[in-house]
Amino acid sequence: MKRMLSKFLGALLLISLVLVGCSSETDGDETGSEDGVVLTIGSWRTEDTAAYEKIIEAFNEEHPDIKVEFKPSKNTEYNTILNTALQSGEGPDIIQLRPYAPGMELAKAGYLEPLDELNGIDVFSEEVISAATSDDGKIYGVPLSLNSAQMFYNKKIFEEHGLEEPKTWDEFIELNEKLKEEGVTPIALGTKEGWLLSLAHSIVGPAHYGANDFVDQITTGEKTFTSDEFVSSLKAMDELKEYFPDNYEGLGMEDIRTLFFSGKAAMFPLGSWEIEVLREMNPDLELGFFPMPSAVGKEPTMTTWVDGSYGLNANSKHKEEAKKFLEFMTTEKFAKLFSDELMRIPAIPGVETDDELVTKMAEASEQYSTAYMMLVHFNEGNPTTKAALEAELQGMYLGEQSPEDVAKKLQKNAKTYFTR
Amino acid sequence: MQLETKPNVQTGTKQKKDWKKWVIHLFPIPALAIYVLFIIYPLFAAFTYSLFDWQGIKRGAFIGIENFISLFTKQPFNDMFWNAFQNNILYFVLEMIVQNGIAFVLAYIIYKKVKGAEFFKIAYFLPRLLSVIIVGFLWKLILNPNFGALNVFLNKIGLESWAKPWLGDPDTALIAIILVNSWFGLGFAVLIFLAGLQGIPTNLIEAARLDGAKGLTLICKIILPLMAPAITIITVLTFIHAFEAFELVYAMEGSMGEPYYSTDTLAVYFYRLAFGGSGGASSVAIGLGSALAVVLFTIIATISAVFLYILRKREVEM
Repeated sequence: MKRMLSKFLGALLLISLVLVGCSSETDGDETGSEDGVVLTIGSWRTEDTAAYEKIIEAFNEEHPDIKVEFKPSKNTEYNTILNTALQSGEGPDIIQLRPYAPGMELAKAGYLEPLDELNGIDVFSEEVISAATSDDGKIYGVPLSLNSAQMFYNKKIFEEHGLEEPKTWDEFIELNEKLKEEGVTPIALGTKEGWLLSLAHSIVGPAHYGANDFVDQITTGEKTFTSDEFVSSLKAMDELKEYFPDNYEGLGMEDIRTLFFSGKAAMFPLGSWEIEVLREMNPDLELGFFPMPSAVGKEPTMTTWVDGSYGLNANSKHKEEAKKFLEFMTTEKFAKLFSDELMRIPAIPGVETDDELVTKMAEASEQYSTAYMMLVHFNEGNPTTKAALEAELQGMYLGEQSPEDVAKKLQKNAKTYFTR
Repeated sequence: MQLETKPNVQTGTKQKKDWKKWVIHLFPIPALAIYVLFIIYPLFAAFTYSLFDWQGIKRGAFIGIENFISLFTKQPFNDMFWNAFQNNILYFVLEMIVQNGIAFVLAYIIYKKVKGAEFFKIAYFLPRLLSVIIVGFLWKLILNPNFGALNVFLNKIGLESWAKPWLGDPDTALIAIILVNSWFGLGFAVLIFLAGLQGIPTNLIEAARLDGAKGLTLICKIILPLMAPAITIITVLTFIHAFEAFELVYAMEGSMGEPYYSTDTLAVYFYRLAFGGSGGASSVAIGLGSALAVVLFTIIATISAVFLYILRKREVEM
């Protein structure tokens, strides 16, 4: 029996030794080995890993002594993983921040280092930097890329049916009618996944509520969600259901994307990040886009917003080194690499990309830019007003309520935190 | 210590035996440590969290039971709570009827030793071996409105009007998920019922037969009462499972309980409240989320206890 005990204790000792061994190894990782500092980048873009390897390589040409590791986690789990790590005083040195209010929550909680003094932070336009500016007026992130949402269309289908890019809202409705009559699904959109609805509303809505003027008015409290302008944008969303595919209530992202790239639907209201996926799925797809023509006699609109920025962990042990990497992220060299590798519009203005469509979209975004209002200004609350719009629009499409009801509920939701 | 109190007659073997008794109590320690760390500690942590005000993920002032009050009196929290609560109840009731009803019939057929009983036993249990996420994905494909197997089948046999966007229609979405869950949990219920059936002494059934009981009478008057322990276990487990329902809803309808909260359950609502759901559908409200977790725990614990108390009383001694 004694021998058993000594074996047992021996095993315990062995296990604890192994555990200690493991932990000291990770310690070594964090504090850096003798050949320099190791920085980690946290991100939700697991699909960008290969591109970041190239970006880090370019960074190392200038700073060979700083090792950088890109450590993304799954998009839907990212917030949870990051929050838990930050709460225990850890987390990556460089943190990819969600744009606008959700990202700035971290700044409010004191987990981020202000970056107002960072070299190169002044290259960004005021509108862009606002995505990473907290309520205290300080900048907490280096904006990374712009997203735009617009109506994509299949050039081949438009040609076959003798259609052109619409210049007015009426032309847009006419072309939908024509496509429907001729047996083509006009708009590939499903209502099963809520986020598709707030995104589609960000494309269609400005044409009815009058784009930036209304955004200014609602953010200063002059107008509300129950104002006629906004209600008419919801009504327009309701009218468009005539042009959705069969069984649209049950269709999600994968379904509508398939409908569009396989040529069964003519238009696809989605974000710029879809270009890469669509081309991969169907390399022969002739992809075009048009800014949304206004229904109230204004300029057409391209919905643009900042998609994420990079912040500095206030608990980082290597702030100076991390700042060097963040400075690198404000250079044109980085922006060019980023847009060429990932086919995204960089947040730094005036960077030419290799891709014709992306360049055209970047130009249109600069010319016709309107904010993704729900994401930029109303992404707070429980649920957020943006998420409430998604759910309530679902309710509207299911015939459970009118556009007016949706507007009332949004106003009630926004009142809980929006007091202007 | 024991050795000192009775020092005189201890033999070597006796010493070894005492030692053995003592060392046995060491073995649960690793499991107990994990249990304390991952079950007991979070339980108390959630309770303390629920008593504080939280700004995002930062803990603020102590506010007593204010989070609980908001949860039940403030819109939209109260609406969402009761909506999810009703869905959980429907979950439980439908699972009891469909999953456990069918499972009992199947278990009885297997018990009667039909041909290939062993094969069926395994076949019914197979879905259980799949990951819930895979089950959700698989059924999402089958239930897809435009190219899913179910609607294609309905169209082929001329029942076009029956074809629906199953997961997109609030009237069918929750029921579809519960049925998928029943398909998933069927094998487990069959196994428990089968164990209950096989535990009934055959002489009792023989005796009943001799007294002229057969068919439904035999099942209702003899078999069901005698397998009451199995029914107790299944009822309580189904209840706990129904009130913890999360994975399938999340896999098939996301963290908003889409469409239009029609598949929302308390656990999904909790995920949204405490962690912001996926992609930040809601601001992180750890205080409210923890309060909901405590409420959920209380509901499950008390109702399970009541079930156990009532059902145990009905069990007969064999």
